[in-house]
Amino acid sequence: MNDDGLDPLIHVPTRLKIVATLAALPDGDALSFTRLQDMLELTPGNLIIQLRKLEEAGYISSEKTRNGSAQKTTVNLTSRGREALGAYTKALRDLLGGL
Amino acid sequence: MNTTPDLTTAGNGGTFGPEQAAALLGQTTQQARRKFQPSPPWLLVTRAVMVLAALGAIWLSVRGQHPYRGPTAADIPVLVAFIAVNFAATVGVRRHATAGVTGRSRFSQGEIAVLVLAFAAAVAAMAGLRAAGVDFATYPTSVLVVPGLAWAVLMAARASWRGFATGLAIVVIGIVGAFAGPAGAWAVAAVGLCVMLLGSAAAIAWRQRA
Repeated sequence: MNDDGLDPLIHVPTRLKIVATLAALPDGDALSFTRLQDMLELTPGNLIIQLRKLEEAGYISSEKTRNGSAQKTTVNLTSRGREALGAYTKALRDLLGGL
Repeated sequence: MNTTPDLTTAGNGGTFGPEQAAALLGQTTQQARRKFQPSPPWLLVTRAVMVLAALGAIWLSVRGQHPYRGPTAADIPVLVAFIAVNFAATVGVRRHATAGVTGRSRFSQGEIAVLVLAFAAAVAAMAGLRAAGVDFATYPTSVLVVPGLAWAVLMAARASWRGFATGLAIVVIGIVGAFAGPAGAWAVAAVGLCVMLLGSAAAIAWRQRA
């Protein structure tokens, strides 16, 4: 945690957007890498780097499926990731005086 | 915990404060909820206006019928156009919203089959009862009861309580219509479905802003 109690893994603009976007899906749903990339307007390289960091922390999980020659990657927020975002949101509220 | 600096910086100074984080979190969450919403408020409001216009027009044309003969030949194209436009808009918007999404929020083939069968069964049952001379079979709202129940059960199984309430509302409209007479049932369907759709739109809009 940072001095202000904010999770440094989430307290980065790109990763915060990734986690917030995935959290908007119902629990148990996954999103394709390409849709996530389109929504966040990120380069594939940047998105891969950020997803890897979140996956290493157990905040997201990814699955690769192959359909013929095409490979599809889907990502979803784990329950640990949802809890981390909840704690991050609470810490932000506390810092900003409930705003 | 990994504290590697991000490739993205928050502002010109490269700092990312709590205020910026809160704003970004709120904005991203709202945008994502809007983009993932298969029934956006604007679509529900449009549908509400259309259902009020289409079914209301039919009510105006049948309310003076004694005895009741049903919608006129001029009314049928309005009804068919309403159903076709509504179906196309719903499928198109839903497909766009759920592109790339996998998991339990998508309907399974079994669930789709149940909904189609419920609607088909209701139409078949109404046709059979009508042939047998049963009065309420000619009421347009009667056809809503079985699909409404099927939707409510499906939504309850998914623990989607807003969807469950929608299904129950459809059932209630169907039952209330049975007490309004064959012509009055068109007005009940028009007003009831319009109110239900506007209520759903308000609930979704409120949730998107929460």
